[in-house]
Amino acid sequence: MAASAALRPGVEADAVDGVVPGAVAEPGTPEQLAAVLAEASSAGRTTVVRGGGTKLGWGRVPARVDLLLSTARLAPVVVHRDGDLTATVSAGVSLADLNRQLAAKGQWLPVDSAFAGATIGGMLATNDAGPLRHRHGTARDLLIGVRLALTDGRLVKAGGTVVKNVAGYDLGRFVTGSFGTLAVIVEATFKLLPVPHASSTLVTAYASAEVLAANAAAIAASQIEPLACDVHVPAAGRPSLLVRFASSPAATRAQAATARTMLVGETEELSGDAERVRWTGQVQAAWAGQAAVVRLSWMPARLAEVLRLVEDLRGRTSGALTLTARAIVGTGLLSVGGTPREQAAVVEHLRARTDLVGHVALLRGGRELKAAVDVWGQAPSAQAALEALKRTFDPAGILNAARGPV
Amino acid sequence: MPAPIADQLRAVCGPEGVLDEPVQLLTYECDALPHLRQMPAVVTLPRSAAEVQAIVRLCAREGVPFVARGHGSGLSGGALPVPGGVVISLARLNRVLEVDIPNRQVTVEPGVTNLEITRQVAPFGYYYAPDPSSQQVCSIGGNVAENSGGAHCLKYGFTVHHVLQVEAVMPDGELVTVGSPMADGPGPDLLALLVGSEGTLAVVTKVVVRILRRPETVQTLLAAFDSPRAGGEAVSQIIAAGIVPAAVEMMDALAIKAAEAAVHPNFPPADTVLIVELDGPASEVTELFEVVDAICRRTGASTVEVARDEAHRMRIWRGRKAAFAAMGRVSPNYYVQDGVVPRTKLPEVLARIRALSERSGLGIGNVFHAGDGNLHPLICYDESVPGQAELAEKVAGEILGYCVEAGGSITGEHGVGADKKHYMPRMFSDDDLDAMQRLRDAVDPRRLCNPGKVLPTPRLCGEVPGPYRQHPIEKAGLGERF
Repeated sequence: MAASAALRPGVEADAVDGVVPGAVAEPGTPEQLAAVLAEASSAGRTTVVRGGGTKLGWGRVPARVDLLLSTARLAPVVVHRDGDLTATVSAGVSLADLNRQLAAKGQWLPVDSAFAGATIGGMLATNDAGPLRHRHGTARDLLIGVRLALTDGRLVKAGGTVVKNVAGYDLGRFVTGSFGTLAVIVEATFKLLPVPHASSTLVTAYASAEVLAANAAAIAASQIEPLACDVHVPAAGRPSLLVRFASSPAATRAQAATARTMLVGETEELSGDAERVRWTGQVQAAWAGQAAVVRLSWMPARLAEVLRLVEDLRGRTSGALTLTARAIVGTGLLSVGGTPREQAAVVEHLRARTDLVGHVALLRGGRELKAAVDVWGQAPSAQAALEALKRTFDPAGILNAARGPV
Repeated sequence: MPAPIADQLRAVCGPEGVLDEPVQLLTYECDALPHLRQMPAVVTLPRSAAEVQAIVRLCAREGVPFVARGHGSGLSGGALPVPGGVVISLARLNRVLEVDIPNRQVTVEPGVTNLEITRQVAPFGYYYAPDPSSQQVCSIGGNVAENSGGAHCLKYGFTVHHVLQVEAVMPDGELVTVGSPMADGPGPDLLALLVGSEGTLAVVTKVVVRILRRPETVQTLLAAFDSPRAGGEAVSQIIAAGIVPAAVEMMDALAIKAAEAAVHPNFPPADTVLIVELDGPASEVTELFEVVDAICRRTGASTVEVARDEAHRMRIWRGRKAAFAAMGRVSPNYYVQDGVVPRTKLPEVLARIRALSERSGLGIGNVFHAGDGNLHPLICYDESVPGQAELAEKVAGEILGYCVEAGGSITGEHGVGADKKHYMPRMFSDDDLDAMQRLRDAVDPRRLCNPGKVLPTPRLCGEVPGPYRQHPIEKAGLGERF
């Protein structure tokens, strides 16, 4: 017990969905963190892991939180092997800081976050992603190695530091999306990409959802290769399609020119600061204000029907509705204003449309809304196996107890 | 093995779906790593997921171990039978269930070959990206088990990046669906855990994969260098220029000589050749290809040959892909190794391999994916010379040590299987391996699902270590090692 870091009492600023934790630990080393975790497990203390705290409210409302375990004080180590296009980074480093360091050698980890202080650990635990997932997938797809603190106090690794490696079970990818329910991510290694030399975005506004969806389908079926292809449905006004190209300057220009011929609408081309501002806005749009935020997915070819569904949903709430989504991947965020009762009606309506949308998860919502609808919705298939794995990694059931998807 | 289980299996699969005569079982005693052999008690040939489920349930009830098998092209003994166990061959689950072009997905049964997926979608301008060199014969179920890669995974990733959903029978007999044809399902990524688990966590009965649009342009060049270091420098500068090639392959003098003898790709007589392929939109490929060409010349390439057309490109690739089997032209026997080093450590590790070759007196050819550091040293030996086969195996093991010391891996794509599980402690601590064992026990508490693979255990009685021998399929030129 002597090895563990000092605990301090939780205060209002540490609250998880309004619940103030009994104690907060901010260990300085992975070893200390693992020791604190083992103690919590032995004592049966419910534990919530915190990185930057930017997505801490995602999940069910906790009955109680005995311990908030933070990765914030872990030494911010970044080992950038630019010749190998890999980097190993401690979990508490923010994505923004990591990318600032990688940029010195013209490389990046191409993942978006809407939140300034989002850490690598939190990004993996939530598997949160944005427009860049069109080309590069989520952090899960770029992860090549991981170091985890387990509830028995051990630090274990899986994967490695090379981009190609099939030795052993892929524990790293397994814990992506686990919302801190299985182990604490203390370090991760990623495959990196070179930062493109040029970038350009076509923004097209549409009078008709059908035409927008048809244009997105045409881009998907073409041989041009956008970096991102997003749709934005504002609270009022016309929906738009954002197609971004990033390559060498000449190839970026050529692809944008080809894309223009496929886009039937009012198209403007953005580059430089205007382009950056537009994409930052797109990434952050769903989180503006205090509206509920729902993540949902659909089969890519059914975008037009999803856009119509969003229009139909406007009749169910007095508040604003906006959709920011990956047009070709088929996933996005719906920001839902209105009263908790109206928001609940929207979530329930989406969940009833199993013929069209899936994975309807409530990422942000007030307590009243979370009391009315389950955060995660449908239980996953293979639940018996997932529960067995949960019992193995967290036998005392302390990790994000009853909050996470398992 | 008491007779009743074979009878019970016949009730599930019909008499023609169960093999238990020794002569019938011979085919199944090994995969494409033929120095590991074990007779199973029974082989089953189910035709549906329901039959697979019934077989697994039966095995679970009777406490009989079972091993799933695709088309037996694995190179790590992943489909090696277990003494007294049941082999579940998925060869008859070979239907393409759905081709969905608008959503860019294909649903297949596990016995469908990798290349068949591309054949199905090629008329629409699409393809399935992972391309192990055995793609004509290997099954998609086996690809899922091994997380197969290929020459183009530097840019396009592995099986885990292209499988969206699987249907699988868990070791207790439950039929489950894992993953989703829609993106971003919440919760731990059980699908990513199953992909690459080498058949130890489940038996896959259906696979949904995503397909990609064919790139507009593909350009390939072959550059000759006077040392692997010079070739390696070219690769470093290509990467530093911010270019991610679709493939970067390197071959050394011995491999070039063997390839020339076998398929006459007309490679230049050089110490090292580098093959670089770019693909994508024409505007991008044309511009970057000039940069690659210039880098190769700047770093000392004596010749740079650009593929003029598809036939020329195929000839270059034929030389590369034939390199393994071609070793048979320059050596009576050879042992193929699969290890990974960080790309920048390639020159250092190649120098160590060269020194090892001189010290051991065994020729070692090198063919490798230079973009991602995946080495395939080919250790030449003559099994008619007493002790040489054992020496070759020792040399192969030593090379894995170099890979681990350089910060790499004991396998980049062939898997751990039965072959390399004893090397796992070189890469992973006892705690790491214990966590993996507990994970496995959570899913398969009775240890019936492909036991004895991946994680180190005391050797089973039937497992006799021995040197590599060429598989009959390979000998006949029907399969290649990549």
